[in-house]
Amino acid sequence: MVSTAHKQNRSADLRERTFRRLLVWLDQGVDTNGQSYLVIRGRLLGYFDRKNCLHADELADETLNRVARRLEEEGGNIETEIPAKYCYIVARFVFMEHLRANEKEIAALDNVSRQANVMSNEDRDRKEKMLECLDHCAAKLDSSQRDLIFGYYVGEQRVKIENRRSLAQTLGITVNALSIRACRVRDKLESCVKECAGRQ
Amino acid sequence: MSNSTNQNQVSTQYLLGTLPEVERERLDELSVTSQEFADSLSASEKDLIDSYVQGELSGSTLAQFESHYLASQIRRERVEFAAAFQVFAKKQAVFDGSSIRRQAELDRKRKGGWLSRLSVFGGQYPALQWGVAVAAVVFIAAGGFLLLQNARLRQQMSIEQAHRDELQQRELQLQKELDQQRASNTAIEQELAQVREERARMEEELKKSGQFPASGTGMLSFVLTPQLRGAGQTKSVSIPANTSRVTVQLSLEPNDYQTFAVVLLDQSSHQELWRSGKLKASSRGDNRTLNVGFSAGLLKPQVYALQVSGISANGQSEVLSDYPFKVVK
Repeated sequence: MVSTAHKQNRSADLRERTFRRLLVWLDQGVDTNGQSYLVIRGRLLGYFDRKNCLHADELADETLNRVARRLEEEGGNIETEIPAKYCYIVARFVFMEHLRANEKEIAALDNVSRQANVMSNEDRDRKEKMLECLDHCAAKLDSSQRDLIFGYYVGEQRVKIENRRSLAQTLGITVNALSIRACRVRDKLESCVKECAGRQ
Repeated sequence: MSNSTNQNQVSTQYLLGTLPEVERERLDELSVTSQEFADSLSASEKDLIDSYVQGELSGSTLAQFESHYLASQIRRERVEFAAAFQVFAKKQAVFDGSSIRRQAELDRKRKGGWLSRLSVFGGQYPALQWGVAVAAVVFIAAGGFLLLQNARLRQQMSIEQAHRDELQQRELQLQKELDQQRASNTAIEQELAQVREERARMEEELKKSGQFPASGTGMLSFVLTPQLRGAGQTKSVSIPANTSRVTVQLSLEPNDYQTFAVVLLDQSSHQELWRSGKLKASSRGDNRTLNVGFSAGLLKPQVYALQVSGISANGQSEVLSDYPFKVVK
């Protein structure tokens, strides 16, 4: 479900009606309770991040703002293969505009990357905090999810591969399906930890 | 190569920014529009991050990961989470033991082996079955540890043995060198004693005759080469009247002896006039020479020969060459 806080933040850019229209359009007739919106926003965030944009989340929001405005103009529907395709086309324009306007960002990004491997006391504290949050968040998972990710991600190299094969066999699913399932649980855990660590 | 492996490799290249532009744009689109690709990319990304955290990346992949992937704050946070997650997952595996239970369960189902035969206990005595499973794991782990330990000890023993052999070899070599040194010392001592004896005798003779050699003129030196069979002219040596001592350098023919003895013979009577102690040859390049010295008083105008013998390690001697010379006054 899309959180109330998130909706409030979005209200500066989108009015309630426009935002609801966007959610309905993204759902394509199936009420996902805002999941479709979160999924497409996550993918757009990933897209901008892989393009090394410093503020990928802002660009993802800008993309969805433009889509929502266009949707308003078109009376609630845009002719496209799938909503995600249209979102991608808009995202490309947003990226190119951003690129022209923010060429200096690349240099700044280089400096940030050089600092990436230096482990400060602050980093250590954050890691400690993360471990505490992991404990807390893992406890919130149900036992099958816990067994799944700790079974899936445990071990190194060949041991890990063999482990995954065995686990998939036990669950009667393909390794590919297992990886997607484990990946989603890990995403869930990661979000929980991020939120928990941010609170502390 | 399987499809999924290939796809995983492409995804990894995409994440590391090493794909060509056209391919990158195609995957950019898929990452937003295709649920399947987005899921697969997310799984590949987690595996890539875990590999980095576990130190499995190397070479250009590692370099690209650090220069490209870690350039983003969001991705660095993912790496940070992965590091914490790995630590946490390992702890879970150790303390929870769920993976061991799952593995035992898997083995039981898959192989239907010896453990499955204990299924008579399975339903009624699960604790007993788990006990057996845990004992088996402990037994296998202990066995593995002992095997490893055994291999390590064997390796250590062979290293020690090689070291001991080397020391023994060195000891033998040193002993041999010491023996040679001792033999050489003995020969020198003998020669020295002989020289002293001869000098004393000479001084006695000089005392009797009331003559003393003039300083700087009492010694005569010359070089002799071995006599060739059936040919050659005997070397003539003129000995001045005031000569008290004669030293001769004998050029040796090639041989394997280390120790030699020289005898001064009267060629006509074959009488032995003088005998050296054990001598060592001097080397200059491939040539070896012997230096001998004796009283000039032993020589009259006639033909002599210096006969060189080689002395083996067991003391046996063999005549090697004659060095004839004719004294003229």
